[in-house]
Amino acid sequence: MYEFLADHALYTVLLIVLICWAGIFFYLWRLDRKVARLEKDLRQ
Amino acid sequence: MNTALKIVLGCWLGLVICAALLFPVVPAPQSWNEFPVIPGLGEKARILFFHVPMSWVTVVAFLTSMVFSIRYLRSKETADDLKAVASAGLGLLFCVLATITGSVWAKFNWGSFWNWDPRETSIIVLLLIYGAYFALRSAIPSDEKRAALSAVYAVIAGVTVPFFIFIVPRIIGSLHPEPIVNAEGKVHMNGSMLAVFLCSLAGFTMLFVWMLNIKIRVLRLAHHHSKEGD
Repeated sequence: MYEFLADHALYTVLLIVLICWAGIFFYLWRLDRKVARLEKDLRQ
Repeated sequence: MNTALKIVLGCWLGLVICAALLFPVVPAPQSWNEFPVIPGLGEKARILFFHVPMSWVTVVAFLTSMVFSIRYLRSKETADDLKAVASAGLGLLFCVLATITGSVWAKFNWGSFWNWDPRETSIIVLLLIYGAYFALRSAIPSDEKRAALSAVYAVIAGVTVPFFIFIVPRIIGSLHPEPIVNAEGKVHMNGSMLAVFLCSLAGFTMLFVWMLNIKIRVLRLAHHHSKEGD
């Protein structure tokens, strides 16, 4: 895997793009959980 | 942010990613959709379109947090405190992403994930400063005291941001490629590269504005809910 990425720079950049979006997705997922918790509390 | 703007933003970022990854890197660009070869970087120069906007949004978020903190200190409005903390949280997220993307790139370009380059050191210091901001907030039970103390802290922390991001790399030699932040103060990119780069900066900044808006709304709801519970 390391050698493949070292030989193909474009895939390294693609990995970096995926890391950016994975981080943003993780943040939104946590925010969604927080909203769901709030909604649940408000319903009770 | 209205729905049409969100759709435009999604398309905009999609096009930026396509252009950043698909435009060919050639020794002598002839067409508008070709990037020049940057000596020593080649295809790896494409990280510029993603890693730099992460750092840019970090700066924007931390400075936004500072502005709302100043507003809080003047107005004592809880809404300003919530905006400041939402912005600092997003700044921390983008700061972590800039650190991770940079260190993955460093592994394949410089041979190791971490090299204690001045910019790497600067970003770690920023992470620690803003990590401490959240530690401070979680350590104070009183709402008003927490808001006031963390606002003062955010103002002091915000002052250090331009120093760590823009000044340190200009005064200390760095392993980092220097197409944008360099001693000459000039941008070393051709037109097409600069256009895609600026589009990426604009797209990620708009994404930050959208995420900040959502986060503020959630924090406001949580705050009202906790007040109703008291």
